[in-house]
Amino acid sequence: MAKQRRRPLGLILSTGWLSLCLLAAVLGDLLPLPAWNNFDFDNLSAPIFTNGHWLGTDPDGADLLSGLVHGARVSLGISFVSVLAGSIIGGFLGVLAAYRRGWIDAVITMYFNVSLAIPIIVLTLVMVAIFSTPKFDGSSGGLPREMILVISLTLVLVPILGLLARSSALSWSGRDFVMVAESIGMKKRAILWIHIVPNVLPAMMSIAFLAAGIVIVVEGGLAILGAGAAPGASWGSMLAKNQSYFTIDAYPTLVPAAVIALTVMALNYFGDYFRTVIDDRESRI
Amino acid sequence: MKLLGAVIILVRALVVLFLVTFMITVLVRLLPGDPVDTLMPFATDEGREQLRSELGLNINIVQYYFRWLGDFVRGDFGQWYASTGDGGGVPIGQMLGVALPRSLFLMFYTMVFSLTLALPIGIFLGYRADTRIDRTLSNAMFALSSIPSFALGLSLVYILGLRLDLLPVLGYVPFTESPGEHFKSMVLPVLSLSVGLIAGFSRLLRVDTIATLREDFVTMASSKGLSNGWILWRHVLRPSSATLMTSAALQMGGLIGGAVVIEIIFALNGFGMLLNTAIVTRQYLAIQSLVALIAVAFIFFNLVVNVLYAVVDPRVRSARG
Repeated sequence: MAKQRRRPLGLILSTGWLSLCLLAAVLGDLLPLPAWNNFDFDNLSAPIFTNGHWLGTDPDGADLLSGLVHGARVSLGISFVSVLAGSIIGGFLGVLAAYRRGWIDAVITMYFNVSLAIPIIVLTLVMVAIFSTPKFDGSSGGLPREMILVISLTLVLVPILGLLARSSALSWSGRDFVMVAESIGMKKRAILWIHIVPNVLPAMMSIAFLAAGIVIVVEGGLAILGAGAAPGASWGSMLAKNQSYFTIDAYPTLVPAAVIALTVMALNYFGDYFRTVIDDRESRI
Repeated sequence: MKLLGAVIILVRALVVLFLVTFMITVLVRLLPGDPVDTLMPFATDEGREQLRSELGLNINIVQYYFRWLGDFVRGDFGQWYASTGDGGGVPIGQMLGVALPRSLFLMFYTMVFSLTLALPIGIFLGYRADTRIDRTLSNAMFALSSIPSFALGLSLVYILGLRLDLLPVLGYVPFTESPGEHFKSMVLPVLSLSVGLIAGFSRLLRVDTIATLREDFVTMASSKGLSNGWILWRHVLRPSSATLMTSAALQMGGLIGGAVVIEIIFALNGFGMLLNTAIVTRQYLAIQSLVALIAVAFIFFNLVVNVLYAVVDPRVRSARG
């Protein structure tokens, strides 16, 4: 029996979960939910399915479901923008390094390696500290919190994505069809755009899913360290906000933790799935 | 030839070290706000002047960098300033003496535990590649490894600590005080960090094991009538563990400081916690020295891997030399 490519169960579940999160992020305002930062003081720590609060409330009386829906917008938004920006900058630098070689390559690769010698969470913490000018009331002056997170995370992602783009571009430029293109006198720049960039893009895609997962984890970690989004605004800061009540009422902390875990799982699965599809395709080229 | 290769690796590591510490110096300089106002809001003019010169604010950054580097190499990491001013404070080295062992214990236990489980699992999955049990276990571990360590840590605290009341959920007990309590206090943090590593490690080992099993010397060994277990442990494990070792070494570097979130959740007050406090309270010198230490550890473990490669897999030695 020939092995038919079936859609694996993991792919269906991941697609379903991510679509749900995306829908919540986009259409969240249309849902008949209380505002995420509206505190219902008559229903503190309400259990699940309480009237008016489908998932219950946290110890401040904030509705958990509307928190998750709003958090989807913030967390996925931060993740999407920083991964996109990181892929563009990192991809550009990586392909440039592989294409020009020589000292440009040496400088760019060195920059990547230097940045990677510091753990992601530590580097992001330092970046966030640099971009936020704390005022006495604890809010950050100048840039909004989410903006600071996006800039910091982008800067941290660039070396990771760049190194991958470089190695992918290098491996493609050693392939036979590139040598043929060179031997028939095609311009180097044309080879780059026609033969190398289109082949590097799929690899970047699969890594972008993993990177999006990393961003969500790091954002959660930053929130726990007190350097995340405004209290309750993102999934991570929802978790961090309710964590102080953990020993009394663990439920409002565990719900965002579970949502973060499911989302990262789905993103990792997607990245992995893309990887195998691409490997399949590349082995046929 | 072999010596030359070693020298090149060493020089490259040194260059990265130089650049990374310089980059940290620049980053610390970029922190907003006047360091003197932040660190010693109530200092006298004299104290302010002294702090300025200690933080190198009166000389240019390159001069300052080399002065700091000189101190750093001699083991003088600078002062942790007290907000009262007048130059009072605690040497950072002294605080490290308390914080670092905790993080090193955490890293050591996590590594030992993860590798102890990952080696048999990885080899087994590689041996049984593409069977039902391989697929089930691989998928389960893939899912588990996607759970962020803080989410896993909180769930473990909830189940094992709060619901079943089996383990302490907060705090650190030094080994010298009570070994039993020490281990108990480390179980949850080590578990939270290990699950992802076990999955990652066994995944790498599985792939390399599959490749090794196709080699001629394995066919040779089995045609000699050696048992499968013997072949897997004595012939397959070593040549299959190169990727695993690289990954393990990188993780070791990353766990010092990178485990900051877990250290905070479990109130371990280790190196990561110290660094986080330094960043939040703008301890300029401490940030610089602590991040530099992380980078040193990371690069050191990288070097160790390069050396270990040659020891574990003789083919690397002959191929290089």
